[in-house]
Amino acid sequence: MAKRNTFDEDEELQETFNWSYYRRLGRYLVPYLTKLALVLGTLILGSLAGTLGPYLTKVAIDQAIPQKNLSLLWLLTGIFAALLIITFFCYRYRIWTITEVGQDMLKDMRSDIFDHLQELPFSYFDSRPHGKILIRVVNYINTLSDLLSNGLINLINDIILLVVTLIFMVSINWKLALWSLALIPILLVWTRIVQIQQRKAYRELSNKQSNMNAYIHESIAGIKVTQGFAQEDNASATFDHVANEYRSSFMHAIRVQWALWPGVQNISTLTTALIYYIGITQWGGVDVTTGTLIAFMGYVANFWNPVIDIGNFYNSLITATAYLERIFETMDEEPEVKDLPDSFDLPPIHGDVEFKDVSFKYEEDTPMILKHVSFHAAPGETVALVGPTGAGKSTVINLLSRFYNVTEGEVDIDGVDISRVTLKSLRSQMGVMLQDTFIFSGTILENIRYGKLDATEEEVIAAAKVVRADDFIRDMPQEYHTEVQERGSTLSAGQRQLIAFARTLLADPKILILDEATAAIDTQTELLLQAGLNRLLEGRTSFIIAHRLSTIQNADQIMVVNHGEIVERGSHQELMKKRGEYFSLYEAQYRMLQSL
Amino acid sequence: MGTFQWVWQYIRRNMKLLIPATLLIFVNAAAIVVAPLIGGWIIDQVIGQGHTERLVPFLLIMIGVTLGRTIVRYIYQVIFEQVGQNVMWDIRHDLFEKLQKLDFTFFNNVSTGDIMARMTGDMDAIRNFVAWDSYNLIECVLWFVTAILVMGSINWPLTLALAALTPFIGFLTMHMSNEAHPVYFQIREAFAHLNSMVEENISGNRVVKAFTREPYEIEKFNKLNDAYKARNMDAARVSRRYLPPLDILASMLSVIVLILGGFLVIKGAMTLGDLVAFNGFLWMLNQPMRMSGWLINDVQRFSASTIKIRRMLGAKSSIPVQDSEHYQKLQGYVTFDHVNFEYADAPEVPVLHDISFTVKPGETMGILGETGSGKSTLMNLIARFYDPTSGEVLIDGKNAKDWPVRQLRDQITIVMQDLFLFSDTIQDNISYGNRQAEPQLIQHMADVADASQFIAEMPDGYDTVVGERGVGLSGGQKQRISLTRALVKNPSILILDDTTSALDMETEAEIQKKLSPITQKKTTFIIATRISSLRHADQIIVLKHGDIIERGTHDELIAKHGYYFDTYQKQLGALGVKGGESNGEA
Repeated sequence: MAKRNTFDEDEELQETFNWSYYRRLGRYLVPYLTKLALVLGTLILGSLAGTLGPYLTKVAIDQAIPQKNLSLLWLLTGIFAALLIITFFCYRYRIWTITEVGQDMLKDMRSDIFDHLQELPFSYFDSRPHGKILIRVVNYINTLSDLLSNGLINLINDIILLVVTLIFMVSINWKLALWSLALIPILLVWTRIVQIQQRKAYRELSNKQSNMNAYIHESIAGIKVTQGFAQEDNASATFDHVANEYRSSFMHAIRVQWALWPGVQNISTLTTALIYYIGITQWGGVDVTTGTLIAFMGYVANFWNPVIDIGNFYNSLITATAYLERIFETMDEEPEVKDLPDSFDLPPIHGDVEFKDVSFKYEEDTPMILKHVSFHAAPGETVALVGPTGAGKSTVINLLSRFYNVTEGEVDIDGVDISRVTLKSLRSQMGVMLQDTFIFSGTILENIRYGKLDATEEEVIAAAKVVRADDFIRDMPQEYHTEVQERGSTLSAGQRQLIAFARTLLADPKILILDEATAAIDTQTELLLQAGLNRLLEGRTSFIIAHRLSTIQNADQIMVVNHGEIVERGSHQELMKKRGEYFSLYEAQYRMLQSL
Repeated sequence: MGTFQWVWQYIRRNMKLLIPATLLIFVNAAAIVVAPLIGGWIIDQVIGQGHTERLVPFLLIMIGVTLGRTIVRYIYQVIFEQVGQNVMWDIRHDLFEKLQKLDFTFFNNVSTGDIMARMTGDMDAIRNFVAWDSYNLIECVLWFVTAILVMGSINWPLTLALAALTPFIGFLTMHMSNEAHPVYFQIREAFAHLNSMVEENISGNRVVKAFTREPYEIEKFNKLNDAYKARNMDAARVSRRYLPPLDILASMLSVIVLILGGFLVIKGAMTLGDLVAFNGFLWMLNQPMRMSGWLINDVQRFSASTIKIRRMLGAKSSIPVQDSEHYQKLQGYVTFDHVNFEYADAPEVPVLHDISFTVKPGETMGILGETGSGKSTLMNLIARFYDPTSGEVLIDGKNAKDWPVRQLRDQITIVMQDLFLFSDTIQDNISYGNRQAEPQLIQHMADVADASQFIAEMPDGYDTVVGERGVGLSGGQKQRISLTRALVKNPSILILDDTTSALDMETEAEIQKKLSPITQKKTTFIIATRISSLRHADQIIVLKHGDIIERGTHDELIAKHGYYFDTYQKQLGALGVKGGESNGEA
């Protein structure tokens, strides 16, 4: 059994962060490069127009106004107004396109993580709270939204703006321009300090957020137990604790993150003061006119705005990193069971199943669950697995559908090693009816149809009739179109099993696997169901796990499994003659029934 | 109650933080005004009038003021964020408490993913509003007003000309607000749908894989993923319509200052220094104008999320949870008096019809019946997860509706068919209902439920962590842990809803034997499909389509040759046992 994570336990990161994550993030941009370039173009056009503003003001203050040159003033104003119109259209275009590109990238990423999730094995879902998986697919990806859409474009724009402004500054007075860069090293040091702390803080925060999500999710799923045991107060107390941890880690992260801004702002003011001082005292041989100084001050402000923006971008990049590494971690999770590179489609199954000396353990250092299991089932045979809980019966079945790969040995279907075929071709020909039945939200019809997506309503009803589900479905308010919720809480356990049964039958599998499929169904219904089922089982190889020996007496082969080994095998008659474990199991049940 | 009024109730609790923070906003705003003034002074006094000795003091003031105001701003930003967190904490806490109180009917109709969306994504919109938009709104208004005042004092005609743009801004923002509102609500809905779908996909991953329905799931997902994008694009459409005009209006200010200010200086009605200072204040006017569109988007996002959250907070539970300080121990008398029940959403389908019986403390009642005949519903009525549509359920002679519901449930334990284990250690799962349980008690009850052996064989014994819903355990193991959990709780009324169906008969018999000294001190209900589970019951009822069709002891029902006898025959016959009529001694 893999080590499990719970809601109050932080997830350790498998790998440390590296720059390749940003490269991977960058790959999501590739399909949209043309659009992004256009957006960037309009943005540059827009910000050039913005940069010209102070220049026009400078010309006005330096020349037009002192010279009382009205026509020049009008001209300047006219140019300004024209610039505004350009800005207007650029802005319009930008809002739309950048949102679209950003949303498309999020969509692609969400789609990638979801697709990948479909390939991951049971063990991935079993070993961590579902709330922690959910948050990665939906919430974490949403946090990237701003970074991907506005963030990147603004960054490029800011860099260009910075360079352009710098060029203007240098062209006005290169000495002053150099002076205005003097404090940049301090800025870099400050940024680095904040970044290191922020990184830690956000990693902690994403953990706490994930824990809280997991607890909320589990609380909703287990609400009936909580209410049934009158444990609402305890649940609330635990929630408060989890929510408190989230709040404190959030506040810590915020305190660190926002420390960047005051630093940048102060350095900016120091620079402004420095320029005033140098410009006015003509210190170090700097010689400027008043108008030049005023214009220069405008550019200094223009210079610091992008610096602050870049700082903000950097901030959100660090923040996003904490989520990004979780997203990529999930995407990098290797499915234990996957198609081999040279896998091929399993041809239509006849139903010959063979286990050749199969052993299985979940992980390297855990004990063997199955030990050297070998058996053969001919097409059309019914094989029953009996034995105590936890003996390994379900494992046999999980290996047959390749939900896990065998540790040693080989499982063959029609003589083909199933590890060499594609999962889809294998599983689509098998019908597995699991102990846990899961009902999707939607109508009863849709739930049964899950077994065969193109089934007609008649086919669905026919399948329901075979498993004796038709009667109770007809009693429901909208019959087959009655809506049920996830896990089908308005249905009884027996009804859910019948629906799941119908679903499996509709899939028309060549190999049918029933794992305690009828435990919650009453005797009368079960007998009726069995009668219908026997017809259907003809020609299909089937595997049945059952505790009630009565249900498996007619099986072609009965295998008694205990401690991961097949301890006995044979038909009912053979095993009875043997007077071994099966015999004593049977005797015990017989005696008990007799004593009724 | 309006959205703002509603959220104000939560914000109000943070007055001790808010008042100083708001004061700090004013301090900051005042400080912001100083910087451009100094710029003007330097130009006019230092450069224009040659007071070079004033340069260094002016610059020092500038640096000092900036240092002070950035610290002040940092402090109030953090305080507002703290308030945002507190508000979110309180609302989330209320939501969680509400969830604990809502009845099964609510959960039968709302998907987990939808609730999750409200407790996570929608919360963020609220946080964003309280922690960010609120002070930005205050700042914007403050800047706007301050700028008008200060600029007015420098040159009022020019200021007046700028203020003339205000009505246009008001007009645009109002229209934008109206258009954005439904759009954001739809975004939240699309988000909830997406969340629900992914949640189900994760929960049902075994079924998805068993049927190789991955492509189908991906297709479903893509549809919702597209829809979510489309709704976001609707918001972009609104933004595209209103943000650029607002931006242009803001930039118009510069044009007006340039041309009008230029005129005034040329005509000598204004000094050049004043114009420079005036220009320096301009951002205080155009910044709020530029931000107004963004703020409106945020406010509408907040408002949409608020609606979703308030709907859940306002959901009515038909079974109100009232606490009572007086704790009354249950004796265990259970009487059903002509009870009828239908689900509220399907009143035309009777689930239970005219059910009457009485069970005394120490007695065991067995219930047999077809799948879906109403057995589990009957049990849910005892623990008051639902109330009967008509008739009365009496517990110790008192109508169940008159009992404080938590007290009732505290002493009535149902081992439900839907087994749910928390992703926690086996130990903590078992002591879920009784956190103070002694290890000996847990050990003993695990013995009774025949769980101690397999627990001991697990890698970490009682400290083994099980997955959510108990994945990784077999059905029989889950049933036995659930039974142990119920026994450790030591309720007055114990309800076993098909608790041993996944166990083999020997194990079941073993458990029954060990259980009987315990059940003799309680009122016990056993729902089962196997006669072997029911035969020792003091009375047995048989349900069919919500009616009691047979009742009596095992022997009486055998003698009756009805449904019970029929089932009995079939269960015996299956193994070739001849069914006797009166050998009921066991």
